[in-house]
Amino acid sequence: MSIIQTENLTKIYGRGEAAVTALDHVNLTVNEGEFVAVMGPSGCGKSTLLHLTGGLDRPTEGDVHIEGVSLSKMRDDDLTRLRRQKIGFVFQFYNLIPVLTAVENAALPVTLDGVKPAEARRRAAEWLSRFGLGDRLLHRPDQLSGGQQQRVAIARALVAEPSLILADEPTGNLDTRSGDEIASLLRDVTRKYGRTVVMVTHDPRIAAYANRIIFLKDGKVVDETNLERKNKDNAQMLADKIKEIGD
Amino acid sequence: MSVRHAILGLLAQKPRHGYELHAAFEAIVGGDTTWEVKPAQIYTTLERLEQAGLVTCISDLGEGEAPDRRVYALTEAGRAALAGWFAAGVTPDHQRDEFFVKLMVALACGEADPSRLIQTQRAHLYQELHDLTTRREACNPQTEMVQILLLDKAIMHLEADLRWLDITEQRLEEVRRQPLPEPELRRRGRPTKGDKGSTYPPPATVNREP
Amino acid sequence: MNLQLTLAWRYLSGRKLRTLLTTLAVIFGVLIIFGMNIIVPTILEAFKANMMAASGAVDVTITHVSGGGFPQETARRLESLSGIRAYAASLERTVNLPPDFVDGAPSRPDRISAINLVGIEPQAAQSLQAYLIGNGGRFLQEDDRDAAVISQSLADAWGVSLGDRIRIPSVDGLTELTIVGILPPRTLPGNEEVLVTLPKVQVMTGQPGQINTLCVALTSLDDAARNEAIAAIEAALGSDYQVGTVAPGSEMFASIKLGQATMNMFGVLALFMGGFIIFNTFRTIVAERRRDIGMLRALGATRRTITGMILAEGLLQGIIGSAIGLLLGYLFGALIVRLAEPAMKAFINLELGAPVVSPTLVTTSVLLGVGVTVLASLLPARSASRVTPLEALRPSLAEVAYKRRVGADFIIGLVLVGLALLGLFKGDLNAIALGSLLFLGGLILVTPALLRPIAWAFGRLLAWFYARQGIADLAQGNLTRQPGRVTVTVSATMIGLAIIVALGGMTTSLSGMMDDLLHKTLGSDYLFIPPSIAVWNSDMGASPEFAARLRQIEGVEAVTTLRFASSAVNGSPVSLLGLDPQTYPQVSGLDFKEGDEATAYAALASGRNMIVNGSFLMTLGVKVGDTVELATPNGPQTYTIVAHASDLLNAKVVTAYISQENLAADFGRSDDVFIQLNLRPGVTLEQVDSAIKAVAADYPQFTVLAGKQYIDQMLVMMKATFAGMYFMLAFLAFPALIAMMNTLAINVIERRREIGLVRAVGATRQQIRRLISAEALLLAAVGAAFGILAGLYLGYVIVKGLSVMFPIPYTFPLAGVLAAVAIGLLFGALAAIVPARQAAQLPVVEAVRYE
Repeated sequence: MSIIQTENLTKIYGRGEAAVTALDHVNLTVNEGEFVAVMGPSGCGKSTLLHLTGGLDRPTEGDVHIEGVSLSKMRDDDLTRLRRQKIGFVFQFYNLIPVLTAVENAALPVTLDGVKPAEARRRAAEWLSRFGLGDRLLHRPDQLSGGQQQRVAIARALVAEPSLILADEPTGNLDTRSGDEIASLLRDVTRKYGRTVVMVTHDPRIAAYANRIIFLKDGKVVDETNLERKNKDNAQMLADKIKEIGD
Repeated sequence: MSVRHAILGLLAQKPRHGYELHAAFEAIVGGDTTWEVKPAQIYTTLERLEQAGLVTCISDLGEGEAPDRRVYALTEAGRAALAGWFAAGVTPDHQRDEFFVKLMVALACGEADPSRLIQTQRAHLYQELHDLTTRREACNPQTEMVQILLLDKAIMHLEADLRWLDITEQRLEEVRRQPLPEPELRRRGRPTKGDKGSTYPPPATVNREP
Repeated sequence: MNLQLTLAWRYLSGRKLRTLLTTLAVIFGVLIIFGMNIIVPTILEAFKANMMAASGAVDVTITHVSGGGFPQETARRLESLSGIRAYAASLERTVNLPPDFVDGAPSRPDRISAINLVGIEPQAAQSLQAYLIGNGGRFLQEDDRDAAVISQSLADAWGVSLGDRIRIPSVDGLTELTIVGILPPRTLPGNEEVLVTLPKVQVMTGQPGQINTLCVALTSLDDAARNEAIAAIEAALGSDYQVGTVAPGSEMFASIKLGQATMNMFGVLALFMGGFIIFNTFRTIVAERRRDIGMLRALGATRRTITGMILAEGLLQGIIGSAIGLLLGYLFGALIVRLAEPAMKAFINLELGAPVVSPTLVTTSVLLGVGVTVLASLLPARSASRVTPLEALRPSLAEVAYKRRVGADFIIGLVLVGLALLGLFKGDLNAIALGSLLFLGGLILVTPALLRPIAWAFGRLLAWFYARQGIADLAQGNLTRQPGRVTVTVSATMIGLAIIVALGGMTTSLSGMMDDLLHKTLGSDYLFIPPSIAVWNSDMGASPEFAARLRQIEGVEAVTTLRFASSAVNGSPVSLLGLDPQTYPQVSGLDFKEGDEATAYAALASGRNMIVNGSFLMTLGVKVGDTVELATPNGPQTYTIVAHASDLLNAKVVTAYISQENLAADFGRSDDVFIQLNLRPGVTLEQVDSAIKAVAADYPQFTVLAGKQYIDQMLVMMKATFAGMYFMLAFLAFPALIAMMNTLAINVIERRREIGLVRAVGATRQQIRRLISAEALLLAAVGAAFGILAGLYLGYVIVKGLSVMFPIPYTFPLAGVLAAVAIGLLFGALAAIVPARQAAQLPVVEAVRYE
């Protein structure tokens, strides 16, 4: 079943001579359980795509359907509710409210939805423990490393049990090892917990964790690749490759 | 090259016979799937080393001339050569890239769209990267560090390749504009008028040897 | 809701210092309003207690509306009324005793400075109350001529006992009385009493045939029956009599009310500033917190949640500020009461109790403090809610937009200023306060339009100055491209300085006026002053004999006196001062505003005419030429207003000056309460001093002052008061400083990227620091200039407005202006220090990080 479906999605900034077309009649589909990476050169519109998909911004033309529901018909309050309940967000930096503890931060979406604080914190603590932060529940963001902060953000993205996670350069601010950890975590989110993840990134190594890559350029989709080949000679081809490098 | 020096190093560890050397070499490079070297190659190399005076045969189990049964040891010269190898840096070899050839050929013969080529290659590299990453994740850092090292190297090379693809894609127009190097044909006789140097695409009239 | 409060609390405690600083103005405002409004009721309570001291067994106290005496026969009207158990007539006067009256020893402090002289009819009095005389003594009898009954506590204080004689000041000197009985020690609040027979007291106070109080005891305890009885009494006596309440003591009340009104205005203006500062602070907060806000919105917080978050912060700050303000206000009020106590005791013989706090006051103060803070955070809260998630995540996409509409704001501002001016001239204190606020509000709105060309000009100036250093654009940028931002910075300084200069103008003018008046109306060579100036009612005056004897002294040219009676017009209390139209202008004088001096005095002598002061005209809503009805013991009398003039002592109280003849005829008062004397030219003080003092010794209730002495005393007191007011004004300046620091801090934050980029391309820290400082000074200068101009105008207008009530000539507050200039520039420099350092120390990478 398709989680995301865009129809002629277009976004133009500015007017007249200074108009910039960030997205140009994009049509794409993301299905349940996929881990999709969106890549492209700077200014290609990948972040804009994410913003429109998440209801953070409105398209100039076209529409986005999340689980079959059209976003263009929604009012601001409905969109806000959508973001609370159906979508989880992970951003590149400044993910967390500095004056709240890890567990309070992670609990935000459900707290905002009206769940009682005690229950909200319980759910948040569960997710944080799953991600190895069980002993840092009461730490503030400035007491956590970059990788730990992103893990809190991912826990937060999941606490409302949404079906879709949108991540905007989640590893952009992290060193290689932490970045790998986060990318691996996101992959677990699809494999172990069955969610759908759409991630914008410019780092190939991180993108490789996904099982599908969409390439954008000048606001249009120019290519798509499925990363999981059914090729059984995988290992052999790999070996060949190495041999060339090694000799 | 590195096979020879690797053998020298393994013999520095202790004298071995040929068969043992092959096994030891495979163990060092992390298994037969990562770097396949045929035993024959080892034996040939051993002979060459012996001829060069870098190793010497120190025992003969008397079962014949087969190098796999003869025990070799390092000579002084061999030790010196090994030291020299350690002291010097290793120049990586980047020149022979099949994709590069593919691209140039496409540009030359016009049978394929270079942009499409780049896209296909990119997709392929990503698949490779995906596989490598998966494999790397499956490795146990406690016991399989050597494999991880090699996988990381491969991953990073792929990253570099991908970056190169991006840049090349951006420069495609410029590349198309500039003339490809044409080979200089040794002609007998005077060149036809108007045919000075090379152009791309090649002119309709091709030089023929008279 | 929980989340919003949690966030608000965390944010507030994360920046304790800034929270405290910005709440300071709110604290100050609440402090003043609460504190001042404690002091007044405390004084009022003390008054009431004093006045009602004797009413222990009495249900109803009847007095005349004029507050003075009335014919003894009036009591008979109560005879036939049912519901009355008993009643008694009395003539009670407070007699102030000069210092060391009894023991003559200046080294020992006096415990008693005033007594109540009570003239009673012994039988009637005893029917209301039981008087328990101690062993050996007896109560008063009808035919006693000079017997007195006092309490044991008074006897102890004076060191007298049964059979001893005591002396009490009276209109014809000192009266000797013999103590015939001693009552138990006094436990009620108020003055000690000396009980004497009614006829004797009538002689002592020069009020033959008069009483001033009727005490009534009712038969029933049931509310309905009592109300019936009271209604019957009121019907029997008529509207000239007040049933149940205490005598107004209006002169003091009026002074107190004025003081209270002034302080309230201080408080209101301080609160206004507080609100403005909070507003600015919250704008900073919202600007700084765009990221967090956008984040919350992205996560699914509704606009209302965001608004609630900011409002919650405002609410918390308001509560904290008000709480602290209340606490400090109580301490402030208690302190003032404590400090005022000796003055009150000596001046008007009032013992103050503990500060009186009414629940209404607490509620009002808290509501004001919290209300102002929440209101101030309203607009920023709304703008916070309009932050879209996108704006906060990728700030490069959206710039902070300042309103560029000149139209609406400017017009509204002009309208407000117009309204303000209308209000300011109505002459009502409340209208003046409101008008000042409107003026300031309008000013804030009008400033942007006026500021734009100035900012542009200064921008170019700075650019030219910094051109060689390559940062011309940065220098110019702020001033020319962000007029909104400039306005906000300038407004803070402007408001603060405008308030200071306006109030300074008011204070300087008042002080100047006082100075003039002092010299004019109290400039005689000798003054004879009763213990309680301005509370004439309680003073024991002197019979005309005193003045006559003074006139006979060799070297004295002229003596003029003032006499007092209280009256009422339409129920409003009026002070009547009787003067001699011939001698008064010679020795003393009134300050005439309307009407010709000579004609007016002549009119006083020739009929029922009167000269009134500004307070009179204002409060009663009449003008020169009108007629009014004065309540007298013999019924209402019509007087005509012939002129508008005032003197210093009675400036704040509703006063009318009539001839002494009329005063005697209509009010039965002929005792002098204030005497002024001029010597013949060429005669020195030494020549007459001993003679004058000898005569005055017989009238110890008067203090003799050489004219200059008195003026000097008054000047010292006045200067002290004004110094106090200036000090308070300076205090108001602090919030202005904080406001400026705040807005400059906003500037730096909002220009982070700009500054970072410029640093990245090579500007040094030094350059940046100098630049920010230069801008700050410039903005401070502009703000100060605007503020001073506005303040001067506002001050002028306020003084003119107040002039309708009491005449105040406008004095240009030079000292105030200079101080304001100094403060403005100093604050500019101070306020620039921290932001300049912050800007210079911005890590370059931090600033460009937003991509």
